[in-house]
Amino acid sequence: MSLLATSSTFTTEDVRKTVLDNGLVVLTKELHTSPIVTSMIWYKVGSRNEEIGHTGKSHFLEHMLFKGTDRFKKGEIDLLTLKNGGGNNAFTAHDFTAYYFNFASDRWHVALDIEADRMVNCTFESDEFEAEKKVVIEELKTSLDSPWGLLIQEADAAAYKIHPYRNPIVGWLQDVERASAAEQQVYYRKYYHPNNALLVLVGDFNTDTVLERVERIFSGIPSGPTPPAMLMNEPQQRGERRLVVRWRSKIPRIAIAYHAPRIADGDSYALQLLGVILSEGKASRLYQRMVEREQSVTFVSAEYGESMDPTLFHVRAEARGNHSIEGVEASIYDELSRIATIGVTPQELARAKHQIEAHFILSRERTLDQSILLGQIEMLDGLNYIDDYLGRIAAITAADISEVCGRYLKEDNRTVATLLSDGTETDSSEDDELED
Amino acid sequence: MKTDLMSRRSFQVHEHSLDNGLRVLLVENPSIPTISANASVLTGARYDPEDKAGLALMVSRLLDEGTDNRTSLEIAEAIESVGGAIETDGSFERIVVSVGVLKKDVELGIDLLADVLTRPSFPEDYVVKEKERTLSEIASAKDRPQVVAGWAFNELIYQQHPLHRPAHGYPETVSRLTREDLQTFHKRYFVPNNTILSIVGDFRVSEMLPRVERVFADWAPHPLAFPQYRPPVRQTSRRTKFITMPAQQLNIYLGHLGVERANPDYYALQLLDTILGGGAGFTARIPQKLRDELGLAYTTFASITMTAGIDPGRFVAFIGTSPENMTLALDGLINEIRRAANEPVTAEELHDAQEYLTGSFVFAFETSGQIARFLTHAEVYKLGFDYVEKYPEYIKRVTIEDVARAAKKYLDPENYTLVVVGPVNPNGSFVNGTSKN
Repeated sequence: MSLLATSSTFTTEDVRKTVLDNGLVVLTKELHTSPIVTSMIWYKVGSRNEEIGHTGKSHFLEHMLFKGTDRFKKGEIDLLTLKNGGGNNAFTAHDFTAYYFNFASDRWHVALDIEADRMVNCTFESDEFEAEKKVVIEELKTSLDSPWGLLIQEADAAAYKIHPYRNPIVGWLQDVERASAAEQQVYYRKYYHPNNALLVLVGDFNTDTVLERVERIFSGIPSGPTPPAMLMNEPQQRGERRLVVRWRSKIPRIAIAYHAPRIADGDSYALQLLGVILSEGKASRLYQRMVEREQSVTFVSAEYGESMDPTLFHVRAEARGNHSIEGVEASIYDELSRIATIGVTPQELARAKHQIEAHFILSRERTLDQSILLGQIEMLDGLNYIDDYLGRIAAITAADISEVCGRYLKEDNRTVATLLSDGTETDSSEDDELED
Repeated sequence: MKTDLMSRRSFQVHEHSLDNGLRVLLVENPSIPTISANASVLTGARYDPEDKAGLALMVSRLLDEGTDNRTSLEIAEAIESVGGAIETDGSFERIVVSVGVLKKDVELGIDLLADVLTRPSFPEDYVVKEKERTLSEIASAKDRPQVVAGWAFNELIYQQHPLHRPAHGYPETVSRLTREDLQTFHKRYFVPNNTILSIVGDFRVSEMLPRVERVFADWAPHPLAFPQYRPPVRQTSRRTKFITMPAQQLNIYLGHLGVERANPDYYALQLLDTILGGGAGFTARIPQKLRDELGLAYTTFASITMTAGIDPGRFVAFIGTSPENMTLALDGLINEIRRAANEPVTAEELHDAQEYLTGSFVFAFETSGQIARFLTHAEVYKLGFDYVEKYPEYIKRVTIEDVARAAKKYLDPENYTLVVVGPVNPNGSFVNGTSKN
C-alpha cells in the first residue's frame, strides 16, 4: 500500500520560522481561505516543571494571565476580544502552556499587543489572586466529580513514581490552597521570557508586514535566564502496579497505563498505529470484540499520548450490565497478546494507516487547528516531525506492531486502576418536587 | 471594511429538488481535498410516543448497523479503510447521517450515505445489542451530576410536552422498543420529501448533482403526517427540586420555558444572551460577577437562544459551585436575571455585543462540515441562504428598547424552575446538616 502524500497533505513547507534577537521563535503561515487570523503564544512550561508542594502553578498562572497588567486592566483582555468580535482561550498541559486569540483578519493586531504585554507585565494583585484561587478550586472539584477525571488522576499518580507527569495539571488541592501571589510571580518570572516562548500566527495576513509588526512589538522585551532543566527521569517499572479507587458509582471502570517512549522515538509510530488498530472505529479490534461480540463494555479506547518525556499508552473501558471488570480486563490482555504473538492482518495495518493519514488532512481545516499542530510539535520535538510523520507511519510493518505490543504492553510495565463502588450510589428516583 | 469580510467567505449555494422531493444543497469548497455530506431527515425525538420514548434515537443508532446490501462490519470496514467517517445522530428535531471523506473517495462516501439512509435492515441481534448498550449508557450518564440536573430541569419545565424527556428515552421505554417499531418509524419518516441533503467540499456541481440523482433515483416519496402536540406552557409559579448526590459541587439549573427559533425577538435575545450570560471570555454579567468577581465557579453561564428550535427552548442559567456557596450563587443568578428583565442595558453593552456577534459570525463557516450544517439549518428555519450577508443587519438594527422589551417579556425572575443536584437534602439543606438555604 502507499500513502497519498500529495501536495494536499499538511506540510510545513509554507511555514516560515523567524527567531528574534531576544530568542522569541515566530512561526507564520499565510492562509487566505477564510478572513481569519489565529494568534497563539506558547510557553515551554507546564506541570512537568513543577516541584513537590507547588503543583498546579503553571495552570494557575494561565488563569492569572487574564487578570490584568498595568496596560490591560482586569477584564480588559476579554472586553477587547468581545469588542473585536473574537474568541480567546488558553490551556495548560504537562509540557507547555498556550494562549490563543481568533479574530477576523481586519482587527487581529490587538492580540499581539496583549501577548507582548502580558508576557512580562502581569500584575499579581493579591485580591485578584485569592478570588481566582476559588475559581481554580472549583475547576479542580468539577474534575473530581467526573469518574474518569478522578480515575485518571489516581492512575497517573501510581504509574509515575518520580516524574512530575504523576501530578494533576490543575494541581493537588492542598498545593492550590496554599499558593501565594508572591510565589506565583516568581514562577512567572522564571518561565515567561521571549526565549522560552513561541509565537504561532496562521491565517489571512501578509507575512512580511506581520513580521515587521512582531519585531516592533516584541523585540523590546529582554530575554531572560534560561529556565532550569527538568532533571527527573522515571525509573523503569519492575512489575505490575494495581490500585482500586472507591467512588459512588455501581458502574466499574478500568484505566490501564503502560510506560511508552516519548514523541518521535522510533517506536512511537508503531505504538500510534497500534492504538488505532485496537480502538479507532467500529472495525477496530477491541470494539469488535468487546462492544460487538462480548458486549461487555459501553466503550473501550486505546491511545498512545505524545509528550516531551517518556509517556503512557492508555487503555480504558467502562463495563456494562452484569459483566465483571475482571472479564473486561482479561479480554484486553488476550487481544494484546494475540497481536504480540499472532500479529495484525495486512488489512488492519492498511486501514490504520489510512485512518491516520486522512485524519491528518481532515482535522486541519481551521486556522486554530493548524496553529495547535504547529505549536505543539515545535514545543515537543520540532517541525521536522510533521514533515516526516506520514512517511514514518507508512514504513511501519506488521512485525513492528507485534514487536512494540509485546515489548511495551506487557504485565510488568503496566499500572491497572479500577473505579469500583463505595456503596453510596443512590438511585435518584425520588418524588420530592416542591411547587409553591 | 467589516461587512466585506463575510462577503469574502460567502459561497454560492446550488439548490435542487429532485423529482422525488429530496432537497439537495451543494457548495463547492476546494480549499482542502475533502467532502462533507449531511443528510437530515426532519423527524426526531419530539415525535416519539410517550411509551416509546427513545425510538427516534434508537433508529439513528441502528442506521449504520446493517443494510440490505452490507453488514455492520462491512460498512465500518469500507469507510474506515479509506480513513473516512460515517456518523449517525439524532436529536429532538432531526436525524442526521453525515459522511466525511477525502475527495478521491467521494463515490464510496455518497453510496454509503444513501445505503444507510434508505436501506437499513435493523438486524434483530443489533436491535437487542443497541438497546442494552443504550441502557448502560443511561446508567453511566447518571453518574454525572450535571446530566442528572439537566434531565430533572427539562422534566419540570416541559411537563406534558415531549421535550420533557431525555431524547434517548427512559430505561423502561427503551426496553420496550422492538425491531418492528424501528422499521415502522423508518418507513414513515425516511422519505425523500422529508429529507435535506447538504454536500460541501472539493467537487464540481456538474458532477455531483448527476451522482446524487443516480444514487437516490429509486427512493420513493409518500405523503407524511406528523403527530401534533400542544405547545408547552410557561410556568406561572415556582418549581423547585433538590436531588441528593454525593459530590464535590452543586450543579444548579435555574430558568424557565424559552422561545422558538422563529420568534421575531430572536436577535434581540441573542444580544441579551451575550450581555447576560455568554459572549467572549467572562465579559457577560453572570460570569463576570459570579466567576470573575466572587470566585464562585469555574463554569457559569446563561442563555435563552441556545436551545431555541421548532419548539420553544429553555432559558437556562447554570452554575457549578461548592455547597457553601449555594445562597450566594442563587442570589447572584436571580439578581442578574431580575436586573436584565427590569433595567435597560447600556448603549455600550449593546454596541459591544453587536460587535461581538457580527465579528465572530465568520467563525461559523470555517469548515466544510460547518457550512453543510448551516445549509440544513437555514433550510429548516427558512432563514434564506443570504442569511450569511443579512445576519449582521439583523443584529445591528436591534435597539436598547428592543432588548429591554424582549427581556421583560421572556425572562421571569419570579416564576422559575430551580434544580440543584449534589450534596444537598431534598428539602434544600446541606447533607452535612450544618447550614440551610
